[in-house]
Amino acid sequence: MERCLTELETRPGDSAQLVGEIFRSVHTIKGTTGFLGFERLEKLAHVGEHLLGSLREGKLAVTSELISGLLRLLDGLRAILTLIEATGSEGARVGDEDSALIAELAALNEEGPAVTLAAGPAAASVSLQPAVPAAMAAGVAALSDKTLRIDVEVLNRMMNLVGELVLTRNQMLQSGVEATNFPELARRLDSVTADLRETVMQARMQPVGNLFGKFPRMVRDLAQTCGREVRIEFSGQETGLDKSLLEAIKDPLTHAVRNAVDHGIEAPPVRVMAGKPSEGCLKLRAFHQSGSVVIELADDGAGIAIERVLAKAIERGLVTQEQAADMTEREALQLIFLPGFSTAAAVTTVSGRGVGMDVVRANVEKVGGSVELESKVGVGTTLRLRVPLTLAIVPALVVRSGGQSFALPQSALVELVYVPKRDEERAVERMGAAELYRLRERLLPVVWLDRLLGLETRNGEDRHGFYMAVLEAEGCRYGLVVDDLLAPEEIVVKPLSAVLKEIGLFSGATVLGSGMLALILDIGATAARAGVKPVEEEIKEAEVVEGNTEGSEVSLLVFEARARERTALPLDVVERIESVPLTQVEYAGGRPMLQYRGELLTLRDEGGVLSELEAAQDRGEEVSVTVLICGGSGNGEMQRTGMVVRRVLDVSGGTLLDKAASSGEMELALVKEKLTMVHREFSVKAAPAWKEVA
Amino acid sequence: MKIQERDAVNEILNEDDAVSLCSMFAGSESFGIDTRKIREVLGNRDLQRVPMAPAFIGGVVPYRGEVLTTVDFRALLGMGEHTDASCVLVLEDEDGEERFGLMVDAVGGVVTVNRNMLEANPCTLESRDKWLFDGAYKMETGLMVQLDPQKLRPSRLAEAGLFKHRLNGEQA
Repeated sequence: MERCLTELETRPGDSAQLVGEIFRSVHTIKGTTGFLGFERLEKLAHVGEHLLGSLREGKLAVTSELISGLLRLLDGLRAILTLIEATGSEGARVGDEDSALIAELAALNEEGPAVTLAAGPAAASVSLQPAVPAAMAAGVAALSDKTLRIDVEVLNRMMNLVGELVLTRNQMLQSGVEATNFPELARRLDSVTADLRETVMQARMQPVGNLFGKFPRMVRDLAQTCGREVRIEFSGQETGLDKSLLEAIKDPLTHAVRNAVDHGIEAPPVRVMAGKPSEGCLKLRAFHQSGSVVIELADDGAGIAIERVLAKAIERGLVTQEQAADMTEREALQLIFLPGFSTAAAVTTVSGRGVGMDVVRANVEKVGGSVELESKVGVGTTLRLRVPLTLAIVPALVVRSGGQSFALPQSALVELVYVPKRDEERAVERMGAAELYRLRERLLPVVWLDRLLGLETRNGEDRHGFYMAVLEAEGCRYGLVVDDLLAPEEIVVKPLSAVLKEIGLFSGATVLGSGMLALILDIGATAARAGVKPVEEEIKEAEVVEGNTEGSEVSLLVFEARARERTALPLDVVERIESVPLTQVEYAGGRPMLQYRGELLTLRDEGGVLSELEAAQDRGEEVSVTVLICGGSGNGEMQRTGMVVRRVLDVSGGTLLDKAASSGEMELALVKEKLTMVHREFSVKAAPAWKEVA
Repeated sequence: MKIQERDAVNEILNEDDAVSLCSMFAGSESFGIDTRKIREVLGNRDLQRVPMAPAFIGGVVPYRGEVLTTVDFRALLGMGEHTDASCVLVLEDEDGEERFGLMVDAVGGVVTVNRNMLEANPCTLESRDKWLFDGAYKMETGLMVQLDPQKLRPSRLAEAGLFKHRLNGEQA
């Protein structure tokens, strides 16, 4: 009904159907309450119905006073309903709170025709201010969160699967491990579990539209308080998202919408001066992108003025003058996410109190998501929240340190570095007490997990070197040293008790496939505990990148595609190096394809590696293909491709030779004094992507 | 472990006075917890230790889809670490909301005792033991100290603050 009302205000043209809808719902309330004997509710509903009746017959025109009155009616109805829900009765009539509202609505009804004729809304009985206490209305929101509507069909399917699960268990218990049909039973258990998991997930999925639903009203109220004209548009409301995640992003998103209305969209006169329509537009989009849900909030407001951001940052002492001068636009925008940052010129009631985007980012990252911001002065700002589909099952890497297993969420994992024993001594460099690792000419703070947690450290004798997981969370990037890597696993997150949560380093625990328990490390908290600060980190990286872009040196992944030839790709475009069994490579229209994490990758096979390997397979050997997963580069414009290679040789810096010497889509480069072909189409596209990495 | 004091049942004349206790051992002492408060005895389990946790936390164990925080009873008493595998009991508080584990050296059996045999804590007891113990039953083999599971809850222990700074290595 709320939605209908705000919609009614924005589109008075096709009001007939909407008014009908509202009328019907108010009428239903009235009918039911009369039947159930809720007198107070009935009275209120009756006035509302009367007013709507006039509206429906065209006696009244839609004005914003009318809508405000109707919205207050709605609040009143809801408040009483809440009371009924909480206490079982509609409550004693405290004072005459309803009658004031009733009078207001009645006044609206009577004055309505006159107002229409006068074609200018007189302040219709403003003296009768909203009588419904604000406190009552505020309490409404919390109620709907505890229950969940589930399709009966889904529930039935779930029940069937549980039945199946019980049957399988019975069979397993009866037959025992030695039984001949045990493998078959295990397989069935596996498939039932997978089905059940999928069904439960499906039941937990809620359309994002549920969350969007409350925004039109909020934006309308906000716009009125701030003196803005704002229209809100939605798309992708049907996109499903796990219920708990929906709850988790509710506050950040509300905050962001509030920000957009208050700071983003300018006041109507300013907009007209800038040659934009006086009404601002807020676009809220939800869509799927590579295994996660993206919620995009775009406004066509003033955008974020970089100079002001920098000035503010210097004023607050977050960066120095020199640092600010060197910053690129993108880096400067990142400053907004620092705690205590607000560019609002004036503190308003709505926002601008300095708690802002850092909270948004922290909340979204808490559920394993990320936040991106794009802004153009005078054109608008786009905020992108990227959240995983579900929280309950997380892909993670299991590592060992100090004789214990820990799980690192894959979402925070950037890369893994192995430092063999012989390099151990010089791999980690010291600067005072801080330990640093030089990763492709960037200095990376090193954190030893065993020392941090006070675990026993292994002696030098039996060490085989160590692994370093490069992690990134809440703007910090650091290398976490662990003794050993175990398998990547899809883990089920179990909450920890309050006492253990207090430690602050673990976000949960999980049972591994081996039956052992592993603690899930909170990447952000670990960084904080180790003293890794996001600010320093960003500046440090900025400097390094600056150095890199000045020269023509680039980091290259060198591999062999055609026999005896060295080929290279800029390292940034390579996301992963995968080794897949040859049988997984499929063909469509003569082109080799690979199904990779729910995506279809086109494979490029320039050296004819596939046919060679197939020959080997025909001889009965078991072969696997090395595929470089390229592209993506985060903005989704470029599709990922797979590059089939003979073998991967090295990662090293190289100097691009003169462009004139290049032929076709390849470029020549010198890598470690050897002639190497560099794929050009990637390197060209990689140039902007390279800056984005900063 | 042998089941103790079966014949004690015979002494109880009035049924209302009968209390079933599960006996358990830590070091040389024996303790008892009302069987109604015990959900399950898990037997010897390998615990996953939690780094940086308070000393009285023995670790975590998986239990029916949950991860149970387990209290190390020896650490509570200030005893050193047990050399053999420890036995884990699953306890539940009254409203069934918080479940937690208790790690002891070994679990005996169910003992039925007469409520009248319970003696209150002596006034000479240390404050930390006063908190933990809930009187003792006079058994033929010696005293069996009654424990109140409510007080053993990890959150209560953390609040009590009596056990915060105890080191694992401290010897009894």
